[in-house]
Amino acid sequence: MLPIVSITLFLPLLGALLIMGLRKAPAQLVHGIGILTSGLTLAGAIWMWSRGVADTGFAQVEQIDWMPAIGAAYRVGVDGISLPLVVLSALLFFVTFIYSAKVRERPHAYVVLMLLLETAAIGTFTALDAILFYVFFEVSLVSMYFMIAGWGHEDRQRAALMFFIYTLLGSLPLLLAILGLYLGSDPHTFDIRVWIADPPLTGTAAMLALIAMLFTFAVKTPVFPFHTWLPAAHVQAPAAGSVILAGVMLKFGTYGLIRFALQMTPASFHQAGVIVLIFGVFSALYGAFAALAQNDLKRLIAYTSVNHMGYIIIGVAIAALATDPAIRAIALDGSILQMISHGLVTGALFFAVGMLQDRANTREMDRFGGLLKLTPILGWSFVLAAFASLGLPGLAHFPAEFQIFLATLRVEPAAIIVILGIVITAGLYLKAINQVFLGETNTKWQGMPDLSMRELFTLVPLLLLIVIIGVGPAWLLNVIHKTTIALPF
Amino acid sequence: MSVIATAILAPLFATVLILFLRRMPAALALLAAAIGLLASIRLLLDAYAGISHELLLPGLPNLPLHLLATPLTALLSTLVAVIGTLVLVYATGYMKQDTEKVRFFATLLFFISAMQTLVLAADWILLLAAWELIGLASYLLIGFWYQRPGVKSAATRAFLYTRSADLGLYLAVFILIASAGSSDIATTLNTGGNAAIAAGLLLLVAAMGKSAQTPLHDWLQRAMAGPTPVSALLHSATLVAAGAILLIRTAPMLPPETLLVIGIVGGVTTVVTGLIALGETDLKRLLAASTSSQYGLMLVAVGAGVPLAALLHLIAHAAIKSALFLGAGVFQHSRDSTALTKLQGAGHDRPRIFFGFTLAALALAGIPPLSGFFSKDAIIAAALASPDAALLASFALIGTLLTGAYMARALRILWRRNGTQNNVPGAGAALNWMGTGLAGLVTLAVSLAAFFPTIETMLSARLPENSLAQILGLSAALAGLALGWRVPARRLFGFLLPWVQQGFVVAGGVDNLLVRPAFAIAHICEKLESRLYAAALFTGQMSISIARSVRFSDEQGIDGLIFSIVKNTVNLGRRARNLQSGLIHRELAITVVLTTGLFSVLLIVLFI
Repeated sequence: MLPIVSITLFLPLLGALLIMGLRKAPAQLVHGIGILTSGLTLAGAIWMWSRGVADTGFAQVEQIDWMPAIGAAYRVGVDGISLPLVVLSALLFFVTFIYSAKVRERPHAYVVLMLLLETAAIGTFTALDAILFYVFFEVSLVSMYFMIAGWGHEDRQRAALMFFIYTLLGSLPLLLAILGLYLGSDPHTFDIRVWIADPPLTGTAAMLALIAMLFTFAVKTPVFPFHTWLPAAHVQAPAAGSVILAGVMLKFGTYGLIRFALQMTPASFHQAGVIVLIFGVFSALYGAFAALAQNDLKRLIAYTSVNHMGYIIIGVAIAALATDPAIRAIALDGSILQMISHGLVTGALFFAVGMLQDRANTREMDRFGGLLKLTPILGWSFVLAAFASLGLPGLAHFPAEFQIFLATLRVEPAAIIVILGIVITAGLYLKAINQVFLGETNTKWQGMPDLSMRELFTLVPLLLLIVIIGVGPAWLLNVIHKTTIALPF
Repeated sequence: MSVIATAILAPLFATVLILFLRRMPAALALLAAAIGLLASIRLLLDAYAGISHELLLPGLPNLPLHLLATPLTALLSTLVAVIGTLVLVYATGYMKQDTEKVRFFATLLFFISAMQTLVLAADWILLLAAWELIGLASYLLIGFWYQRPGVKSAATRAFLYTRSADLGLYLAVFILIASAGSSDIATTLNTGGNAAIAAGLLLLVAAMGKSAQTPLHDWLQRAMAGPTPVSALLHSATLVAAGAILLIRTAPMLPPETLLVIGIVGGVTTVVTGLIALGETDLKRLLAASTSSQYGLMLVAVGAGVPLAALLHLIAHAAIKSALFLGAGVFQHSRDSTALTKLQGAGHDRPRIFFGFTLAALALAGIPPLSGFFSKDAIIAAALASPDAALLASFALIGTLLTGAYMARALRILWRRNGTQNNVPGAGAALNWMGTGLAGLVTLAVSLAAFFPTIETMLSARLPENSLAQILGLSAALAGLALGWRVPARRLFGFLLPWVQQGFVVAGGVDNLLVRPAFAIAHICEKLESRLYAAALFTGQMSISIARSVRFSDEQGIDGLIFSIVKNTVNLGRRARNLQSGLIHRELAITVVLTTGLFSVLLIVLFI
């Protein structure tokens, strides 16, 4: 059988190498290669989707010996948790390349970095070997650092450094935990499947490993109080960088939380579940309130990410606390779907704000007004994405949040207080829509053009999927549910 | 395609079609509404004959989506379709001059489609989804003229008030699904005990938001910023009706404690908003306050344990109130204002419209043989028969009296000419469309009571009969009419008038009690945020400066110690060999110590 996972994984890297070889190629050609490569990668991801997942464990596993002496190997494969994330990543990179076709500032380096980032992202989700996972996890960090530092806005150096220090320091504990799990396994191996099937650590060692992992993933997700890098990085990153950062890279944190913390130290997570839950609840509410106070559109969306990712933390914590497998599956279904929804919705929102900034050179809400009249397509796209983000039924976040809240009420009713967040987000998005798009048209923006074809090709796929997932999530949830209902703990 | 899907999808398809074609929006809208209406009527006839239509759709795992036409839901579906179609007929004329007809008709059809989903939903997830979607649709419609001053805040207010109250529905749904293990509405209605009490009260909160019950009534009056057909629709059979429909449908589950609370909320609302309507200075705002008041009466009926009476009043009120709004829209067109002072004598100039308006007003007041008399009579009889008769019946009677009073006051102002009020020349063709829609609704408002016995049979429920109720109700209505016709609002309220006109705002109202704290918390978070950021930045800069000073001292040291380099290197090598023992646990320990050190610095800085 064709090793489609590996092909999908390394296609972007191949594209990057090709561009490095074509140093004199014009910008259009470079962007064309970027779009083509990521398009093929998306096709590969869809092919993976068509092959589907297994009833238990991982499907489409591909394996080559790497360092047999220490039990590390090149192992990749997918299950219902990772496969949707792979497709999401491939899609987001594809539209990001379309959006970025306008970049004329060092286009070679830009496209190479983005392609490298794409391989790192898909690798993180498909790796079945802890060393491999860690390598991809860290490589993504480097690429994103250069994205922000090289193509960001006013204060990009500081934001990039903050991002780098934070997440680099953040990932060290994960390395410790990986080593701990490795030492605990017998015979020693880095095979994630073995660690999941038979958690190698117990007692205090497991708890320490869990704490280390929680720390790493809390920085990455991010969870209050480790989130301060996020608004800074988002505000300074170029729009494409924000989309990838929020849409794909934040998911590393929650994906790791499920794959590592929940699946490899389930007993300890069950004990510590309430604490994680409290962090999740606080983070979700804090993100919502902090977003309410913003005037910069990108900061606003960045903080709503803290809110939405908080719901995922809650879902995972509830899954760890739940004793009934059916309820655990509901919580995890909701959490994983929320990752997909957040990727699509926040991606669309960051693109829309990027398009706005391309036209107006500002992101301050109070400097706009009445733009719906001037740029109706951009305006309605933003409105649709904003309503999706505030959790309106029929759009992508609703089925996810509904399941998370439902499971929460059944396991830990007090935590349902977090549902207040959906009113706050409604308030802040309506405020943003009011200030930017409604009311009298500010004459300063007269003549602002509406979306171009390039921008339409960027936004429309995301908006369509937001509606499709919102109206009929069954096709997606069935894949996720197949794995979550059969989890072995 | 199944009939039940047609009722929902016909308007929805038309929405999409209109948005893409961008031409002939009114014609397409009318066609789609007619198809939807036929489907609804078919559902009703089949339900009458005992055939039920249903449709199961995949939803969330183990929680499928379910549409079902029972006699009750088919009846409500028909009501929505009839009122929706007549309002569309009227809107064809009303919106003739507007440049954004495409957006208007598309949104209006989406609204009707969402409302059909809401009434036909047989599972909680679909109902909740439709419940929120009608909120979205009304946000878009109230905010239709988004460039005009005051419109965006009215739309935002409507959405936020109802969404806050919707938390009640979310929680109630979670509780019901958790305790019944199913999302099917019929199954969950068997819930008992504390879950039923809690769920019932939470459902009430949701209904209070949508049906604009005190203290959440304020958004409805401000929602008048939208076009008149929108007001007609969302006050009668759609948005506002959703609250009462929710309680009518869940009434079998509600325990007595909850019922009493519902009755009291409804009773207080009917009095408070009735008084507000009486003191109002704007015709559309008067009608809006009256809507809250009438829904208060329906809640009284639910609280009295006779949801059928609430249902009949809901049906009668839907026809009456949309007729009143459409009439008000005609007067508004001819005077270009809805302020009562500007409308003086407007009825005189359009006698046929005024005649229809008067019939609807008398029906609302409860004058026989118009439909409102029978439905109000049912509510009063229900209140009299309930365990808390004294309380609920007095609410119902005061509500009836106030209804008569404010309607009579409106009629008097519309009829009496006052000097030189000039009419804006109206477009003849537009008036024809508007008149047709209005005539249809007035006919319904007058004659609907003829169908009440059929509805009773169909739902196999009986109304309590009480001739005392008829006498009391009619006397209250007549007294109210006389009061309103003869005594001006200023004399009635005296020095309290300004307070009434502000809608009985206590302590700044909901805005001060909820919105301000939310923003206060937001600003605290923002402050904390900049502190955290500064702390993180400080740590980062400190690490960098430590690194620099190390480099500096190294560079300085290199000069002085150039000769001892060899020795140092040897030493270092020896030490490094110790460090790299190859024992992983030891390296682990070193890394732990170093990392812990770094983090404690970070944490100390963070929390100082």
